Amino acid sequence: MTRKKKRLYLLLLCGLGLGSATALTLTAFQDNLVFFRSPSDIVREAPGPERAFRLGGLVETGSLSRSTEAGRPLARFVVTDGAAQVPVAFGGVLPDLFREGQGVVTLGKLGRDGVFMASEVLARHDETYMPPDVADALKRSGHWNPNQGAAPPASSWNTLQPGRGGG
Amino acid sequence: MSNAPSLAARPAASLHRFANPGRFLRLSGRVLPWLAGAAVLVLAVGLPWALLFSPPDWQQGETVRIMYLHVPMAWLAMGGYAGLAVGSAMALVWRHPLADLAARELSPVGAAVTALCLATGSLWGKPMWGAWWVWDARLTSVLVLFFLWLGHAALVRAFDDPERGARMGAILALVGALNLPVVKFSVDWWNTLHQPASLTRVNAPALHVDILYPLLTCTLGLTLAFAAVVLLRVRAAVMERRIRALQMAAARRAEAPPMVGAES
Amino acid sequence: MSLHWWHVAISYALVLGGFAALTATAVLRHAQAKRVLARLETRKRPA
Repeated sequence: MTRKKKRLYLLLLCGLGLGSATALTLTAFQDNLVFFRSPSDIVREAPGPERAFRLGGLVETGSLSRSTEAGRPLARFVVTDGAAQVPVAFGGVLPDLFREGQGVVTLGKLGRDGVFMASEVLARHDETYMPPDVADALKRSGHWNPNQGAAPPASSWNTLQPGRGGG
Repeated sequence: MSNAPSLAARPAASLHRFANPGRFLRLSGRVLPWLAGAAVLVLAVGLPWALLFSPPDWQQGETVRIMYLHVPMAWLAMGGYAGLAVGSAMALVWRHPLADLAARELSPVGAAVTALCLATGSLWGKPMWGAWWVWDARLTSVLVLFFLWLGHAALVRAFDDPERGARMGAILALVGALNLPVVKFSVDWWNTLHQPASLTRVNAPALHVDILYPLLTCTLGLTLAFAAVVLLRVRAAVMERRIRALQMAAARRAEAPPMVGAES
Repeated sequence: MSLHWWHVAISYALVLGGFAALTATAVLRHAQAKRVLARLETRKRPA
């Protein structure tokens, strides 16, 4: 065995060892790497009212109501992951992207009445990008209602040109 | 000796042809003007397209234009690091002197690109998510990538003996390569604030062609510019090494004048 | 100019400025090395 070959095998062996060590560590810490918890997680195992955590999911369609309490805007909405729902109350300005059917991550504490009191609301956006006229065309044709969920499969619209050719 | 050519020897033989510094300088000198010209040309098309002529996004509006820079920076940060890891493996196994120099010149540029990725991402996240920074798995792993680039750049320069520094840097680059799949798959393995929204659907990324084409053009242009800058730095480093060798030879001659004809 | 356009403009300025700075330092360093090397090699030849 030449010295070069020996170095190559040594390197491969080290890579294998380090790789499996990292994979094991990441699997072990899986729970700690989670940025937010879903409503199903909360229903299964509710954290105490003293613990702040992040709750993430979709804003349920038709659940948003805005009001003003003591001069501050108050928003109430329901966060859902399809299987479970958690009502949320947030006093503050919602981000621009916030709307029904959109992903959100909220930071706060779960009250004794089961309402999640959020101190911070972050909007998530999905990986679809399309011009406004394409989105309008999809909505008009009834293929997609953004309040109901994500866009239809990309192959059905990503070459659509409603602005050209008199569409 | 076995008559089958050794696995390690074959690529090494062809690689070492490019290790000749004179040959490298001649070859890269011929490639560089084309590379730089192509980068300027592609960016002259791609940047105005991305900034002015592409449509806004239906929900993100004009802010989506940050994507045309943020995404190429992220790809370059990761692709460049993959290149650093491959070069480091070659440097460790085959002791290729040019691989050491290339790794040394690559890491500061890679660190700069990763910093730009983080900065543009922050500028994008504030108006869209409502936060400059969050500690989710994607953002944190890219920050780790930035520290790996910086660490490599510092480590290879930290030793008096450049060969020792290069070896330490190569080991760091290979260990750090473990972070690459973490960056790539962080949005699939864990829930993150960063898209894709795994809660709604796990699907192929979906971009309209009017947004996809300027993105691909900007990516190509910035990749060419990245390659041109790195190549220029490697050329400068090769010449600087030759300058040091000449100066040392001159100093030795000055110390011992009668030894002129001796081995250099 | 709206806040969103400010964020876009700053992003483009950062990336273009960053690449311009990288290119400028590399060009200067390359030119310097080339000059010194040319001087050393012409001095060596007649010796």
